[in-house]
Amino acid sequence: MTAVDRIPVPRSRERLTQTTVATWVLAAVLAVLVVPPLLLLVVGSMTGPEGDVTVRYFARVFQDRRLAESLTNSILFALGSATVALVVGGSIAWIVERTNAPLKALAYLTTIISLGTPYVLYVSAWLFLLGKAGPVNSLWRDLTGSTDVLINVYSLGGMVMVEGFLWSPLVFLLMGATLRNANPELEEAARMSGATVWETIRRVTLRLSLPSLLALALLVFIRALEGFEVPALVGLPGRVNVLTTDIFLDMHARVPPDFGHASAYSVLLLIVVAVLLGFYGRLSRSAERFATITGKGFRPRPFDLGRGRFLAAGIVALNFFLLLVAPTAILVWASFLPFYQTFRVRALSRLTLHNYEVVLGSTHYLDLVRNTLLIAAGAATVTMAITLIVGWLAARRRAGAWLLDQLATVPLVFPGIVLGVAVMQIFLRLPIPIYGTIWIIMWAFVIRYLPYGMRYSYAGMLQVHRELEEAAGVSGASQFEALRRVVVPLLTPALAAGWLFIFLLGARVLSLPILLAGPDSQTIAVAMYDLWTNGQGPELAALGLLWTVLMTAIAAAFHVFARRNSIAT
Amino acid sequence: MMCRRLIPILAAIAALAWSGSARAVDQAIVDAAKKEGEVVWYTTLIIDQYVRPTVAGFEKKYPGIKVRYVRNNSTETTIKIINEAKAGKLQADLFDGTNTSEVLKKEGLVEAWKPDSAKDWPADVADPQGWWVATNVYVLTPGYNTDLIKPGTEPKTYDDLLDPKWKGKMVWNGSVSSSGGPGFVGNVLISMGQEKGMAYLQKLAGQRIANLDVSARQVMDQVIAGEYPLALQIFNHHTVISAKKGAPSAWIKMEPAMVVLQVASVAKGAAHPNAAKLLLDYMVSDEGQKFFRDADYLPASPRVEAPDPTLKPEGGHFKANVVSPGELEDRMPKWKQVFDQYFR
Repeated sequence: MTAVDRIPVPRSRERLTQTTVATWVLAAVLAVLVVPPLLLLVVGSMTGPEGDVTVRYFARVFQDRRLAESLTNSILFALGSATVALVVGGSIAWIVERTNAPLKALAYLTTIISLGTPYVLYVSAWLFLLGKAGPVNSLWRDLTGSTDVLINVYSLGGMVMVEGFLWSPLVFLLMGATLRNANPELEEAARMSGATVWETIRRVTLRLSLPSLLALALLVFIRALEGFEVPALVGLPGRVNVLTTDIFLDMHARVPPDFGHASAYSVLLLIVVAVLLGFYGRLSRSAERFATITGKGFRPRPFDLGRGRFLAAGIVALNFFLLLVAPTAILVWASFLPFYQTFRVRALSRLTLHNYEVVLGSTHYLDLVRNTLLIAAGAATVTMAITLIVGWLAARRRAGAWLLDQLATVPLVFPGIVLGVAVMQIFLRLPIPIYGTIWIIMWAFVIRYLPYGMRYSYAGMLQVHRELEEAAGVSGASQFEALRRVVVPLLTPALAAGWLFIFLLGARVLSLPILLAGPDSQTIAVAMYDLWTNGQGPELAALGLLWTVLMTAIAAAFHVFARRNSIAT
Repeated sequence: MMCRRLIPILAAIAALAWSGSARAVDQAIVDAAKKEGEVVWYTTLIIDQYVRPTVAGFEKKYPGIKVRYVRNNSTETTIKIINEAKAGKLQADLFDGTNTSEVLKKEGLVEAWKPDSAKDWPADVADPQGWWVATNVYVLTPGYNTDLIKPGTEPKTYDDLLDPKWKGKMVWNGSVSSSGGPGFVGNVLISMGQEKGMAYLQKLAGQRIANLDVSARQVMDQVIAGEYPLALQIFNHHTVISAKKGAPSAWIKMEPAMVVLQVASVAKGAAHPNAAKLLLDYMVSDEGQKFFRDADYLPASPRVEAPDPTLKPEGGHFKANVVSPGELEDRMPKWKQVFDQYFR
């Protein structure tokens, strides 16, 4: 995206002014959001305790004997997770959006519910399932008489699997939006020329989706590289250290923690990501070649898989079972127990409703629900509004748009906990009294989710050929009218998916609220984390399931609304 | 500095335990606190077990003073207070933790004040200068799953832990606290001395103990769930709370055990200093201490009996190293270093 290969010639001075003003205003907004934490990191990584300039933190990062091992683990973990997420999410998306396989509704159900499930709940469900004492290993021991385990989830392989599963719903949603709007003409042409389904996928569909695939792979790769929950809960007990857990251990080694070292690490991560993004920019330079929604009609028609559709449905059902039924079942089991233990007949006599009574009887949780919904909805709305316009300017390669795109992508480099500390320090220094309120959490969320919003807006925008806007322009619409009346309606599925994704992520993420929440701005995720660390697993399961039901209801309502809207346009 | 004090706290204190009721709080503080109207409490205590009942009791006793609380672990609480103070926007009035007061004292963020209710407490549990006062006592021991290890066959001494049959079966958390691996390391070094202790730890490292990144409470839960049979450094009262609910859990009287304190202090420069003092006084008063007892915790007050006195060294007749908050702060970096060397 860094290269501007074609700068459109403005047709009138008025139009030039409109987009230029918009570009500058957005650049200012993004700069205010993104630059201060970045600056704080760079300065922090080079400032010693006495305010002196130093390279000691970088030196320490490189001298660490574990760096090579952790780096290797990090890269394997990120690559593996991206692969699992793309393969699982991508194949489900293709089956659901482009074929006539039955049981599609199961895929949506799985996705929506798992996106509404807080990480800590999801990861603990997987650990319940695959742990040494979990049903899978118990069954194995009963069947074989072995005293060992079949699956050791506390390993790199286990981490990859859990993280890959965690991200596959995102891939499904994004790929789904891309595939749904892809013009089927080329695929139909391939089929008519005698290509098999597989050949068509390989030579047409996959190639046309290349920019979205790469963008997604990069997104999951980077997210896994800086991911913390799975490395901490799964990797640490198995002594599989990655970069983020090294940093975490370092930050907890002393009080106050060593932010110089954490900042140095973040700056290095920033450089790595910048390089990756540079590659990505080159790849997508000719992205316009991939635009398939043109001025011509684009109603996609599904593939007829013949008998293969039952196999496809089987894959969807398996995905549904693995990602939804099994984790939910074990959580339901846990939520009725006074303390967690794996399924056995003896435990049946202990089943109790106590956990649900506690959760439903508490007014405290009601306040948390209100806070959480406000923060998540606010952050999602602001983020999508900003990225809609940035994505549009970037996709249309307006002058200065690459700067906007870079600014909106930078937050990818912040590990959550580091961003939390940076934002906290910024508002402690500024005379703006939002420290300890829900507004500071919302502020941090907007920064964190800009790149995600961008992927949704930009990927969607790439598919809408500019000739539609040009047609609007010829008919007398200004550029913003064209955006509002032509592009936005076409993009509704992508925008809605983006909003929903950020909303659900905001409602479940922990690393920012845990640092930024004050007495009156606690969120549900923080409460769940407390329950987990305090060993109230069963109460966590009850609260988590009730919360997931609420989130699912919201997500489903939204999904129905968005789909109806996109069909109506 | 004598660290190895095999003294039961309460044995000495028992003599002090007199039937007289707690002293009344200074009326001037009550009046000033009511004028302040609220108090912000940064706590590391468990919300549903202790914080909520205490807040309800306090607000009932002193109507018009609202308690607002935030829960974090010790590290997060300390970072927050330091940052807020640096920016001149201190929110916390009162805070607690096992390793917060001594750190913040060095930063000049603690107001020395001794609550009236703890005036007659021994120096072990109430700092004579008033930098902190203990709210409750933690006894750290190993704990195990009674389904997986038949009671009677559990390891009883430190040397038993070196038996090859426990290899890969033991767990603790890796956090820099007394209730994690570094705490266990510290207790070994205190008990055996530097040379013998290091030799022992080197052997123990061969047992491949799992490091979890969760609280000691959650470590014990993993043991109860059957993930690991044996936890090395957990709070012994947790095993009792769980056993009461029917969980297969028990603790091991491995000598010497480790005793640390949960302490609380008033923040220097607090916006509501009087309300903070009033709440602190309430927490260590007989009425406040009973909430610990009711939650099956070990109250710090010499006047409030623990629900199960055998959990404490003097009641259960076992040896323990009592590590004061100051010693903990001084020695933890060294323990952490040894821990990293052998167990990371």
